[in-house]
Amino acid sequence: MKEKANIDELLNSFIDDELTERQQTEVQRLIANDEEVAQRLKELQKCKVLLSSLPFAEAPVGMLDEIRTSLERRTLLSESPQHFDQRIGTRHLLLRRIVSAAAMIALVAVLAGVIYTIVGPESSVDRPIIADGQQPPALDVKVEKPKPSSVTVADKSIPQTTAAEFNCRLELSTNNLFAADASVSRAIEDNDILAYTIPAKQSDKRIYAISCSRQNLASLLAALEKIWGRFGSTSFSIDTEQEGQYITVDEVSAKQIVEIVNQDSLEGTIQIAKDFAVLNRLEGFLPQRELPSLEDEGITAIAVPKPRLTSNQKMVKKKYTQIENEKNVHLTIVVTGN
Amino acid sequence: MQSKTSKINIDDTVLVELCREGDSAAMERLIIKYQNRIYNTILKICANVDDAAELTQETFVKIIENIDKFEGRSSFYTWAFRIAVNLTLNYCKRNVRLGFKSLDAQSDESTQQTKKVLKQFLTDARSPDPAVEVQAKEIGELVIKALMKLDDDQRTIIVLRDIEGMNYAHIAQVLNIELGTVKSRLSRARSNLREFLEAVLQ
Repeated sequence: MKEKANIDELLNSFIDDELTERQQTEVQRLIANDEEVAQRLKELQKCKVLLSSLPFAEAPVGMLDEIRTSLERRTLLSESPQHFDQRIGTRHLLLRRIVSAAAMIALVAVLAGVIYTIVGPESSVDRPIIADGQQPPALDVKVEKPKPSSVTVADKSIPQTTAAEFNCRLELSTNNLFAADASVSRAIEDNDILAYTIPAKQSDKRIYAISCSRQNLASLLAALEKIWGRFGSTSFSIDTEQEGQYITVDEVSAKQIVEIVNQDSLEGTIQIAKDFAVLNRLEGFLPQRELPSLEDEGITAIAVPKPRLTSNQKMVKKKYTQIENEKNVHLTIVVTGN
Repeated sequence: MQSKTSKINIDDTVLVELCREGDSAAMERLIIKYQNRIYNTILKICANVDDAAELTQETFVKIIENIDKFEGRSSFYTWAFRIAVNLTLNYCKRNVRLGFKSLDAQSDESTQQTKKVLKQFLTDARSPDPAVEVQAKEIGELVIKALMKLDDDQRTIIVLRDIEGMNYAHIAQVLNIELGTVKSRLSRARSNLREFLEAVLQ
């Protein structure tokens, strides 16, 4: 089949006089020796003859005038109206640019709003100071805003978001501010969160603004629990993310704080904080504090196991940015001397 | 005052140059020189007299409008035919049904006698002076009918070669294809045309 196509191609080139002299000689020899090829050549020649003998059609009379008229018409169309069209085009282009610019500004505004919502500062003055390398603001600690009282948030206002990041504050009072300060500082140091803590000192107060992971916080509280008894009062407040609304748990224990912090969602955190707040208040009203404490139930100090390697994989020290990403608890500890 | 081109026989390059300078007489000479050949080629490809006239007119308007873009890398002749063929092929794509419709109407008029003459010509090796036979209007119509059954590319190449008489190198330039493609496409076109002619005569 392919050979037949090749022969056809060769024969057509022969008919059209498109072969070299040598190729022509070869084709002539082929035709002389092969009757089938000779017959095919005649068929193809007849095709060519039929077509080339078709009557030649001349262009209609007046073609030249038609072309000339058409050219003149196009020239006229492309001259005077063109300036007018250009002005319209310029105006249209300007309008489009203005609309585009307005759309761009609107888009930027929306994006800015979204970004501000996500990362912008909160309005509450009680927002814990984040240890991000910035200078801490003047710590004139008038942070008594959340009154040490019971639950202040209505049920209906509980947000349904997950507790990816939340703010809280622990207020401790002590007779020996110096000793308490030393203990808290050591606990912070021992748990490797010193770098993420901004301490501040006042005559009657010590403030520690800490940004850390839940794991870090649990370790810190486990360390603080050993000295928990030295504090006269302990009060833990959490930010409900409802502007200015906090839940405060009075007489809180370190274990309760860990439980509050370790909830999977903000909703869960708020709920358990409310439960502890009610429970602790009830316990305060009882004359002999008959409600059994967790310690009485055989649960002693919070045991937060230190992470250990379970494989041969080498421990790699986390980079700062990695730790930064894990800092989803912002805790302000305020130790007040009596 | 007479134009520089009025009585002198000058080649395309000079005419094109004069045309670029705004010499309308040179422009007219270019049109007159090629209008019939371009019209005939277009007509054989599109098979419609009115459309062929319009396409020829459009071809020359395009040529004149774009004469400044003609770089002279090919001859003016191939450049002009390239414009004509492109316009015609675009037309064929847009109006694929029209050409066949007009030819179908014509085919009914072909008499048995015409078919007999053509059949004899194709099969009898001793058939006398085929050109004379083909000049008969009816036979021409049968050939064109078979021609229109070819696809656009094959019809164009066979028209350029067998009707316009263009050589393979010029065809390659006009259609912007390789020389080998010209040979193979032309071979297939002739072979198919032969088959279609035989089918017409059944």
